[in-house]
Amino acid sequence: MTILEVRNLKVYYYLYNGVVKAVDDVSFTVEEGEILGIAGESGSGKSTLAHSILGLVKPPGKIVGGEIIFQGRDLTKLSEEDLRRLRGREISMVFQDPNTYLNPIMKVGYQVAEVYEAHQNIDMDKILDRVAKLFKRVRMTDPEKRVGSYPHELSGGMKQRALISMAVALKPKLIILDEPTSALDVTIQLEIIDLLREMRDELNASMIFISHDLELLSELTDKLMIMYAGRVVEYGYTKDVFKDAKHPYTEALINSIKYIRKGLLPTIEGEPPSLINPPKGCRFHPRCPRRFELCDRVEPKPISIAGRIVSCHLYGEEYGEGG
Amino acid sequence: MTLARYVVRRLLQAIPTLFILLIFMFILVRVLPGDPARLIAGLEATEEDVERIRVLLGLDRPIHEQFINYMLDILRGDLGTSIKFETPVIQEILIRFPRTLELAIVAELISIAIAIPLGIISALRPFTKTGALATIGSLLGSSMPIYWLGLILIYVFSVNMRLLPSFGYGTPAHIVLPAFTLATLLMGNLVRITRASVLDALESNYIVTAKAKGLSERLIIYRHALKNALIPIITISGLQLGALLGGAILTESVFAWPGIGLLLLDSIYSRDYPLIQGIIIFYAVILILINLIVDIAYAFVDPRVRISLWRPE
Repeated sequence: MTILEVRNLKVYYYLYNGVVKAVDDVSFTVEEGEILGIAGESGSGKSTLAHSILGLVKPPGKIVGGEIIFQGRDLTKLSEEDLRRLRGREISMVFQDPNTYLNPIMKVGYQVAEVYEAHQNIDMDKILDRVAKLFKRVRMTDPEKRVGSYPHELSGGMKQRALISMAVALKPKLIILDEPTSALDVTIQLEIIDLLREMRDELNASMIFISHDLELLSELTDKLMIMYAGRVVEYGYTKDVFKDAKHPYTEALINSIKYIRKGLLPTIEGEPPSLINPPKGCRFHPRCPRRFELCDRVEPKPISIAGRIVSCHLYGEEYGEGG
Repeated sequence: MTLARYVVRRLLQAIPTLFILLIFMFILVRVLPGDPARLIAGLEATEEDVERIRVLLGLDRPIHEQFINYMLDILRGDLGTSIKFETPVIQEILIRFPRTLELAIVAELISIAIAIPLGIISALRPFTKTGALATIGSLLGSSMPIYWLGLILIYVFSVNMRLLPSFGYGTPAHIVLPAFTLATLLMGNLVRITRASVLDALESNYIVTAKAKGLSERLIIYRHALKNALIPIITISGLQLGALLGGAILTESVFAWPGIGLLLLDSIYSRDYPLIQGIIIFYAVILILINLIVDIAYAFVDPRVRISLWRPE
């Protein structure tokens, strides 16, 4: 069953010196119990995409087109109050840096309790018991004591567990994770990933997992979407994508993992493109090792090939025509 | 460490500061042109009179002896005798200071009551007329010179409307104009600080978290944004209380408010060195105490500070 369907979503930032097309015509679906990975370099629009689902894009950012269908309702058309009722209860989110995403002057237990408070009529005393149980489930050490701790009294890993407990508290259908492990130590990262997997199995929740760590995504996700300059360049089953990358950018990313394994610093030639004035034609063409004369003129359309969606002229009908 | 131990430690830390100030004052009085003994004796005094006063003041002793006596006197709470009033300096200060404190507290309360809501409103509605008005108003308020604003207020409310007394001390009506004048000086800064810190808090990531869990706008603002924004606001209000005592000098002279500011002005005009010295030392002690109170208030709002100050780990 499809939990979420995003169709032709466009999220633009209206800045003084131009319009940043952070998410430009992106479509994908998330099935029940599925983990979708979204990868791409900084500024590829993946985080904006994640925030836009819950209507959390800050001005001057704005959803300017497309639909976000969640359980038959288009979230882009919901009122603020309807969105609020959805947030934390049906769709929840875990953020990148647990140090800044927790209120520094409020006890962690209360911050988690607020999820219950926002959506249920329940005594505050009982809530704190529930929070302690929740803390135990996300394997926080000393859960009863942690309820009364302030964020600065917890380690980074513990803080992220608290944020995760907040996100799973009301058993949402969809959990969006925006680089949840990037700010953590490697060993803690693995523990958090294990915990997330466990939560997915327990709640049968779907997840959108955003990361620039392809290796992590290859282990965790069912499907993978690669973004570049606000566009989807490749989208399909994670296994397929890793076995046989179609888009030259995906290929470059996957190759970079191999470099890392050898202890080298991998790079993709060139610089990330400006999102205000993206390159004409294919946005990746200035950095593409396999570009040809069509690439800098015509924008490739997403096409279905080998069980996935790829936006690249290498596989398009236009290939032979030359133009 | 307990709160009491923290306070004691902070007070002990203030000793070196005060010591340096006292040395400075000691030197200042002695390098100023003019002979204090001659000044006290007056123009028509004989050489013998001047010499007698010099001995009386201990100014004939070697400099290190003078310094020790000076320090011992201060430790005993004896700030000397005012030349003009011929009463103990500390007595003059203790009569005048409560009036200044009264003025400062009323001014601070007025400025808090007006400026903090204005700052919050202008932060929550940054691109509206209300917001713009608050910003412009605060700029005007903080740039208006006290003596000018004071005179205008006297002109409008005392001379024309005959609503409030233009000078003096006594009834509650007397405090309105000076307190309001003084408050205007503070309000500008306080509005801008409040606005900036509320905006800053609203931009914080924990606000995104609060939103993502489905908390209502009202709770997000009151429980998360405003509480965090309070931290810098407390610092500024506290430090302002210090600035207020300074600003009181001008206000008190415009409205003839018989506080410590006016006393300082008087003592400067009449070269009453013991009085000047006493008031400055008193000011220093008050400022040190204000800073301590601000730091403690801080810790009550921010648990991070509490831990680093006195909470046992």
